[in-house]
Amino acid sequence: MLPLSLLNAAQGKPMLVELKNGVTFNGHLVDCDQFMNVTLREVYQTSADGERFWKMPEMFIKGNIIKYFRIADSILDQAMAEQEKQRAAGRQRGGGRGGGRGGARGGGEGGRGGGRGGPPGRGGPPMRGAANGRGGGPGRGGPPGGGGGRGGRGAPRQ
Amino acid sequence: MDALIPFTTSGSLVDLVDKKVMVILRDGRKLLGVFRSYDQFANFLLESCVERLHYKLEYADTDLGVLLIRGENVVALGEIDLIAEDRVPLIPRPLDEIRTKINEENRRKERDHLIKSKVLETVGFVSDGREGDAY
Repeated sequence: MLPLSLLNAAQGKPMLVELKNGVTFNGHLVDCDQFMNVTLREVYQTSADGERFWKMPEMFIKGNIIKYFRIADSILDQAMAEQEKQRAAGRQRGGGRGGGRGGARGGGEGGRGGGRGGPPGRGGPPMRGAANGRGGGPGRGGPPGGGGGRGGRGAPRQ
Repeated sequence: MDALIPFTTSGSLVDLVDKKVMVILRDGRKLLGVFRSYDQFANFLLESCVERLHYKLEYADTDLGVLLIRGENVVALGEIDLIAEDRVPLIPRPLDEIRTKINEENRRKERDHLIKSKVLETVGFVSDGREGDAY
């Protein structure tokens, strides 16, 4: 799951945003975009030294001044499960088209697969793998990419 | 097989996914966590993240949970060797203690810097820019 997809999935959820200058905002995410611009609701602002607080009903933060987001663990788990479900549904419709999107460089639609036949073991980055024993992610390994029809990347999921 | 992966950001980071890593931020923070994902901007997603404060060979951790770091702020990312990690002679200490020690050290450095820059000024040097200002 890409960083920005998680942000999308976290809409409506509480989070903490720290700006580059150290100021933090606690609030519920209303919306976000590809630039990481966000709007928050019910926000508590904390000064960089942590000594002063403000409360505001709604605010907009431009993406480029953000340092990081702190997000609740459960939101990541939920988002992963949701993504997994959608992928399963997509696979059923697509008639077993391999692992679908791999991630950062996830292969496009079936047509691109042919030439790749890559080495085994590279499903694409954003998978939470079995390495940690967490809910069986799509396999990162797999046989070398097959013929055109299958998309060529990512293993058939176990 | 490694030779087949071009040396691009995505090529070099795939191998780190789901590994324990340390990320150093531009503000000097050191974050440890499980590297879950990244994108073309080097935005990172870390799970079970802690911020580690070091004072000499002592350290203290603060839990942060899931962290989404904007790529701009990242200085470095490195995998942590779980076996070697056990052999590192670092001593865990209470957070407050480490904080106090770091603050003391900062005050000391600040004072030294002030004295040094005053001396340098008398011989015509300007000394702005100091340790930690590199990024």
